[in-house]
Amino acid sequence: MRIRTVTMLGLALITVAACSSSATTAPASAAAKNYNLTLIQGVAGDPFYVTMACGAQAEAAKEGVTLNVTGGNKWDATVQKPVIDSVTAAHPDGVMVAPDDSKALLSPLKAMSDAGIKVTFVDTKLDDTSFAVSSIATDNLGGGTLAAKTLAQLIGDKGTVLVVNVDPGISTTDARVKGFQDEMKNHPNITVLDVQFTHDDPTAATTITTATLAAHPDLAGVFATNVQNAEGVATGLKQASNTTVKTIAFDAGPKQIEDLNNGIVQGLIAQDPYGIGVAGIQQTVLALKGQPTTATIQTQLAAITKDNVNDPAMAKYLYKATCS
Amino acid sequence: MTAVQPSLGESIRRAIQVRLRPLVERWKSFSQTRFGSMVARAFSTNAAWIFLLLLVLMFIFNFLAPGKFLTEFNVRSMAENVAVLLVIAVGETFVMGTGGIDLSVGYVLLFSGVTSAQVMNWGGKDPTNSGWDVVFLGFAVAIGSGFAWGVLNGLVVAKAKVPALIATLGTLGMSWGLAEILSNGQDLRYLPSIIADMGASRVVFDKVPLVVVVAIIVAVTGAVILNLTRFGRYTVAIGSNQEAARRAGINVDRHLISVYAMSGTLAGFAGFMSLAIFTTTTISGHANDNLQAIAAVVIGGTSLMGGVATVAGTTIGVCIPMVLFSGFTILGYQSFWRDVAVGAVLILAVYTDQLRRRRRERR
Repeated sequence: MRIRTVTMLGLALITVAACSSSATTAPASAAAKNYNLTLIQGVAGDPFYVTMACGAQAEAAKEGVTLNVTGGNKWDATVQKPVIDSVTAAHPDGVMVAPDDSKALLSPLKAMSDAGIKVTFVDTKLDDTSFAVSSIATDNLGGGTLAAKTLAQLIGDKGTVLVVNVDPGISTTDARVKGFQDEMKNHPNITVLDVQFTHDDPTAATTITTATLAAHPDLAGVFATNVQNAEGVATGLKQASNTTVKTIAFDAGPKQIEDLNNGIVQGLIAQDPYGIGVAGIQQTVLALKGQPTTATIQTQLAAITKDNVNDPAMAKYLYKATCS
Repeated sequence: MTAVQPSLGESIRRAIQVRLRPLVERWKSFSQTRFGSMVARAFSTNAAWIFLLLLVLMFIFNFLAPGKFLTEFNVRSMAENVAVLLVIAVGETFVMGTGGIDLSVGYVLLFSGVTSAQVMNWGGKDPTNSGWDVVFLGFAVAIGSGFAWGVLNGLVVAKAKVPALIATLGTLGMSWGLAEILSNGQDLRYLPSIIADMGASRVVFDKVPLVVVVAIIVAVTGAVILNLTRFGRYTVAIGSNQEAARRAGINVDRHLISVYAMSGTLAGFAGFMSLAIFTTTTISGHANDNLQAIAAVVIGGTSLMGGVATVAGTTIGVCIPMVLFSGFTILGYQSFWRDVAVGAVLILAVYTDQLRRRRRERR
């Protein structure tokens, strides 16, 4: 009995040694273990996150890893927390997550990391990124600056402008507004009204737009910080049959491109969600293989107007409703 | 003389009767024993059936995701994630027991969290290192805010005779709007670290989150009040027949105000719990808490028409959607399937309740 145990132990040791030696000598391109990854979207069904999932899915297939995509039905930290906890329970090897609040979700994401799951932030991130593999996001501050410059140009550098934001405490949209407000300080003839919040509800954006038009007949431009808001603002302008107000919106979903072509929106600041998804998989897989990762990655933006919307160079910035 | 040949259907019916008779007889004699009558009585309520459903669901998910669903971590997470909802659902059970409804609970919760956090941030100084006095003040403000909204609900329903659906829909909008105005749409992100520690702390061998223990205490207290006190009996009596209750000498108006005040107070309490769990006011959250609480109460077997209320049922009713939510997420199903499943369970629960009721009436 004893001899057998010893032999087994010896065998096991040899196997371990063989494995570790083969791991070190194997070429880097050799197919790694079939890692199991999960992408937790900020909100399910949104073209931005759908496109991100498309990028992640394509890159996952290329790297030979399995990807699961999930998310809450609403942009809401109280809805996302049970999603995060359940994913931790399912224990994939790595998770890419777009947290809905930079503070409220610290403890569940910390628990996920403590459970030995590699965590990468995509799009949004937490205030505390110390335990993350990488934080990949659009240069949102730069995006806000780009939006301000484009809008100033559209309205002839004078008039009143409105900012329609989602909710406070979302790192990405807060940065966009900051970039926008900072840049507008360089345009003394433009008055920026107080930021309005919509809770990601297009109906609220519509109401805010029509109400602001009533209160400020000299309204010259609107800056909508995300897809839902842009749709709401477009509806509001349509309802007021207003054609003079120039709208610039963040994001370039199918509806926004249509609105741009129909002249309802005059400019779109497009992010690169597909690229964020690709980078998210790459960084997470690198971390799982024990290779160095990049702490912060900022992806590019583009200002899309009617003039360049059909430019093939812009195609990668347009968001999709489905992957194919 | 030839015997009349029975029809095929008739002979099948007879065969089944013959086969089933011993079983039925055995059940009858069993249900006359003391234990048997307890079992029989238990299964004449919805709570027992949905508890069975809960067990079956947990069994299925554990079978499909072995080693992932019924783990210490996941059970603890699920319990933590239903704690806030359970507290407001207990209040909702009383309200629905009177035949009313309280739609405002989710935003009263939010409002109470905001006022509480604002008081703790009074004077603009960072409250992170504030002591117990500040925390207690914040707690009192949360409870007080909830109580005030509850009393308003009760007055509008009982005295102004506005239907509960409309009265609480009105205060839903008012509490939400005021929470937004008070906070200027900005989450208050700094709270005393004592509160965050409470939200993260675990008791009972360092395994059960404090918020879960608190929620269970609330539920047990609620069950005792509902089943063993005059307050509880009045609640279901009013729901059963308001006019009869009035003629029996119950001060219906005052009792209704108390019940809505209780629901509001529990929502305020839940608001403070939410602060502890999320360490911020989560202004964009809690939008569906009211409907989730109502669904939990109904799944648990409390009648929408009033007159029948069970806190035990509500507790299980809160757990079923969370088990479905977690199970589907762990299995990797698209998030929208969770809503479909919860909706189906809601209808199924009410349907089986109706079936049993009808059978009982026929008897």
